[in-house]
Amino acid sequence: MWEKYTFDNIVMRPDCLILGFTRSNDTIGRLFKKTAVAAHITDKVMSLAHDAVSLWIQWSRLISIMDEVDVALVRTSFSTIVGETRDFAVVLLDAEARSIAQSQLSSPAFTCSLPSATRRVLEEFPREALRPGDVLLTNDPWICHGHLPDFYVIVPLFGPTGLIGFVATAAHISDIGGRLDEIEARDVYEEGLRIPPSLLYEAGRPNRQLFDILRANIRYPDMVLGDVDAIIGASRLGEARLQEFLGDYGGDAFAAASEEILRRSEVAMRNAIRAIPDGTYRGSTDADGYEGDTHLEVRIDVAGEEVRLDYTGSARQRAGASINSVLNVTHAHSLYALKCSLLPDLPNNEGLFRPISTTAEEGSIVNARFPAPVKARSKTSYHLHNAIYQALAPALPRAVQAGSGSFWSLKCFGEEADGSRFAVHVLPNGGRGAVRGMDGSATVAFPGNGTITPVEVIENLSPLLVLERSLRQDSGGAGEYRGGLGQTIRITARERPVMVSVRPDKMLHAAPGLDGGSPGAKGELTLDGAPMALRPTRLEPGKELALRLPGGGGIGDPRRRDPDALAHDVAEGRVSAAAAAAYGVHADEVA
Amino acid sequence: MTDPRFRLGFDIGGTFTDFVLLDRTTGETFLNKCLTTPDDPSRAVLEGLSPLFEKAGAGGSDVEIAIHATTLITNAMIERKGAKTALLTTEGFRDVLEMGTEVRYDIYDLFLEKPPLLVPRSLRFEVAERLDKDGRIITPLDEAAVRALAAELKANGVEALAIAFLHSFRNPAHEERAAAILAELLPDLSISTSGAVAPEIREYERMSTTAANAYVQPITRAYLDRIEERLAEIDYRRRLYLMISSGGIAGAQTAKAFPIRMLESGPTAGVLAAIFYGRQMGIDSMVTFDMGGTTAKIAVVKNYEPAKSNLFEVGRVARFKKGSGLPVKIPMVELIEIGAGGGSIAHVDQLGLLKVGPESSGAMPGPASYGRGGDRPTVTDANLVLGYLDPAYFLGGAMPLDLEAASMALEARLGRPLDLTAEQAAAGLFEVVNQNMLAAMKVHIAERGEDPRKFYLFAFGGAGPAHAYELARALQMRGVIVPAGAGATSAMGLVTAAVSFDYARSFVTRLDRVEWPALQAVFDGMASEGLAVLEEAGIPEDTLGVRVEHRMDLRHKGQGHEVTVTIPKAAFEAGSLDALAQLFYAAHEEKYGHAHRNLAVELITCRTTVLAPPPAVSLEALSQDGAVSGESARKGTRRAYFPELGTYAQTPVYDRYRLRPGMNLDGPAIIEERECTVVAGPSAKVRIDPYGSLFLDITAPAAADKELVDAERD
Repeated sequence: MWEKYTFDNIVMRPDCLILGFTRSNDTIGRLFKKTAVAAHITDKVMSLAHDAVSLWIQWSRLISIMDEVDVALVRTSFSTIVGETRDFAVVLLDAEARSIAQSQLSSPAFTCSLPSATRRVLEEFPREALRPGDVLLTNDPWICHGHLPDFYVIVPLFGPTGLIGFVATAAHISDIGGRLDEIEARDVYEEGLRIPPSLLYEAGRPNRQLFDILRANIRYPDMVLGDVDAIIGASRLGEARLQEFLGDYGGDAFAAASEEILRRSEVAMRNAIRAIPDGTYRGSTDADGYEGDTHLEVRIDVAGEEVRLDYTGSARQRAGASINSVLNVTHAHSLYALKCSLLPDLPNNEGLFRPISTTAEEGSIVNARFPAPVKARSKTSYHLHNAIYQALAPALPRAVQAGSGSFWSLKCFGEEADGSRFAVHVLPNGGRGAVRGMDGSATVAFPGNGTITPVEVIENLSPLLVLERSLRQDSGGAGEYRGGLGQTIRITARERPVMVSVRPDKMLHAAPGLDGGSPGAKGELTLDGAPMALRPTRLEPGKELALRLPGGGGIGDPRRRDPDALAHDVAEGRVSAAAAAAYGVHADEVA
Repeated sequence: MTDPRFRLGFDIGGTFTDFVLLDRTTGETFLNKCLTTPDDPSRAVLEGLSPLFEKAGAGGSDVEIAIHATTLITNAMIERKGAKTALLTTEGFRDVLEMGTEVRYDIYDLFLEKPPLLVPRSLRFEVAERLDKDGRIITPLDEAAVRALAAELKANGVEALAIAFLHSFRNPAHEERAAAILAELLPDLSISTSGAVAPEIREYERMSTTAANAYVQPITRAYLDRIEERLAEIDYRRRLYLMISSGGIAGAQTAKAFPIRMLESGPTAGVLAAIFYGRQMGIDSMVTFDMGGTTAKIAVVKNYEPAKSNLFEVGRVARFKKGSGLPVKIPMVELIEIGAGGGSIAHVDQLGLLKVGPESSGAMPGPASYGRGGDRPTVTDANLVLGYLDPAYFLGGAMPLDLEAASMALEARLGRPLDLTAEQAAAGLFEVVNQNMLAAMKVHIAERGEDPRKFYLFAFGGAGPAHAYELARALQMRGVIVPAGAGATSAMGLVTAAVSFDYARSFVTRLDRVEWPALQAVFDGMASEGLAVLEEAGIPEDTLGVRVEHRMDLRHKGQGHEVTVTIPKAAFEAGSLDALAQLFYAAHEEKYGHAHRNLAVELITCRTTVLAPPPAVSLEALSQDGAVSGESARKGTRRAYFPELGTYAQTPVYDRYRLRPGMNLDGPAIIEERECTVVAGPSAKVRIDPYGSLFLDITAPAAADKELVDAERD
């Protein structure tokens, strides 16, 4: 994916202060259009501490170090949630704990809170006191990412001259004790074990008491601690690679490159924001919530080079339902939606986020106060982009996306015939929202990112039998560009009962359409044909659990859809002849 | 009749077909290069061979082995020109092929495109059948439904069928039965089963690989039959061999059964050739750069080994982005290929920007300067206008180029819309295509955590040596190496490769719960299939140097991914599963710094490679005549453009065939041989090694941005 980020290509804008990120072809093409800025650019190039080639080489090498850490973590992890569904992020921080580089597939929302959480942890364990071999751990939702299963593991890195930076990892572990329930907690205490900032290893020696406490409180300690080992092992690999980097470029190279990366990224984001007309933009959306809807409102103020998002007017925080989002998470999802719209090509780092701020009333569902229950906060946070894109649609019609079907969580656990326990965590996805110019893809993650666990892997891990995985006809919202299709998954247990816990979404409020497009189909969850309760349920052998995941929203008036595209949809069974009526076409016309 | 002593390699690319004839008794090589004939590629084979045989004083019966590489399969996949293909899956799972992994390959791109499918939804069929994870039957195959499907396949004009059932890697019986039923009813249908093509766990990747194999099978069969006929016409009646993606060669029968294993065969041959030269020169690591008429290929070689992987992606829709192509689970030499070759067409897009490729003029009509009706400017046209190529010495003068036609195309299609002269347009085109390649190289090198400044760029292919200097300079590499006969180097990789084939079979079990004989049977099965491939290639099992290597993909119980552990011969013979578990712990610790010896070890996939001994081939060393100056090889001077000067310079031109080991030249210089032209810029010092390879050592640090500025002022 690198071609877009090369620094030896120059953005041909006389007012642009940075060396740029543009496709090489465009750059040279513009150059040969004689944009008459050569001398200007030369001045800028020569004034930089880094020449373009060495900054490019160093930056891409830092990212490739993190990609290597990412691969090592995936390869050594134990849980399907890290190994298969990729619910984790690995970030390289400088000695000031500012994020500089991350692996290219790191789950985006984590990458915002990793640096701030690290700085918070360093308040308890000052940098000066850290030693080689120390490993820090916390899962406090208000410090980290809004719920207890997200472990933040921070490994300080040392070079010949002392502390040089950190590898910080956020990973969704398989269990953290507490209720088996996904949603029905009254406070965070019911949701499991909360670990304040702690030393998990001290100068290489494990903190026995902390390990014992973890083992005593977690249902699958081998799996969880196996993942923690995998994180630390992968971080050590990052340390070795960063030391090689310093060996090649000099002891100060990482610090110097970090400053440049942050500075240039900030400038790039400021330039991108300037392209949005100044003004106030408003959007709102409603989500399923739990036993009551969740209303979300956003006001976006764009002024010059800065953006402020304010969620005043959103629902109050909920007692008795784990659907509250802490401000960290709200901020992360706001930044993510904006980055996708404004600067999708730039590698992620903290410099990008400096011009963007997020506020929300304390005690609201998007800025929940301790000790609110938060485990299923994605039931709220995963809807924020819908409000943001609705608000920005008038200003950036070609850089927004209709609502997506989102992921569901399916946990299955129980005992094998030999008494050993198994746990499988699968995160299937609904359809993606459409954008101007492109139908939404079927079954793809958004705003999260993860892979579906293969059927053959599920069946090798558990006594489950998957009966079907298929596209759901008519689930994509109609539009000039259609929303992506959701999927149907049917599962049964063989020989032994299996406990299943499903966390669905968009069963009541569909993924919204945009600009005249229709919403996607709502989800459905049934056990042997009847609606299933949202609490852990025994799946007896022969009984059938069916998940029908929602489709994505459409964009633009359906009557403007290309007739050939519609006819193709009908021929392929994505849209039924009856549903083609939504496009203002009679069934017999497309049959 | 004398003993056949020649090894023949021929590589059909998108634009050119390259030939090498190697006399194994003397190490002498004969090269040729001619235009590919897309309507019937076998025609170019005959056209190119006759002058080569004439030069060598040989005929088809003097050839002991003919080895072939072709871009046909790769192109059919990329251009979606394969057969009309259907898919048959277990009931409930026909959409798996489309749903894929559900991951986004770019997390920030709202306009993410997915690769077009090989099998549309309307041709994806299901049948009742089901196996459990151990391959035991839960639901028997509905044979009547399979029979009924025949009519539907026929009515839809389906030419190829992929059959991929769940858990078939543990028990292929249902797939094989369904294939047998349909083969009987539809004898012309080409059928691929997933248990034969890619018997590994993970249904999506296995299905995708099987669909790809089916998609290219009919055209591959017809094509190879035709090539075999043509070779017989010229009296070569031995077996035809093919280069396969993993870097070995296999017989034509094997290639027809598993055409997908021939993906990237030409580029793979190029990497092998680079390693062969590297061994001769004692250079163990390098970046290889092979630029032909249609594409450029880049690979990283370390310690004489190419990077390898077990998963390849065909036809990435987002250039360079992992995950944006169709997954194909086959063993591959890792390389990247981009649409940048001599024939790549330049145009001005809607935004008024100069773009080059990926569309290629191919062999027909070819670049404007070929004078065969092409009027769109290509990389070759720019190289001609910039003075790199001599219009009278293209392919050694066999194919004169039309400078005026090149100028006119540049002027009309680029110059006018952009307000540039033909020469400026040519300079722009040269920059843009170089930038495209640089961007790709950077990704590929960076993904491996390597620093380009440590390496030489090993350049070959018809256009590679003309562009390599600029790329190496921009990346601050040590320099460029251009082997002798660089215009047809890939073909050299064919004649120096060994017969080998790789197998994989998933077998998911805890090592402490399986009996060794059950595993041994899996390995023995793969080994005997491999030995049959060798047999088919005319190498009996008892031939000295034949090797069988076994490996296992192992993990801790509960872990998501595996470590591939090579099983030493002694351990295999001892058959101790505990010893294998210990090997795994050690390998995991070595690779990742930790292992959990308290956890059981799980086997996922067994792998076997069967290898024949490599041919004993070495190059002929050139004589040194004591001269250190290259003056004696100088054949003239011409104007050539150099981006770092921002202008044209009078540049000496040398005849490569008169350059001798020990000679030195200063850049800028142009060195011509029949099949390619080497451009050495002003910062290069050129030396010649004993085998005639050119080393362009780049001395001055590159001014990466200055070049653009200079070009602007030009």
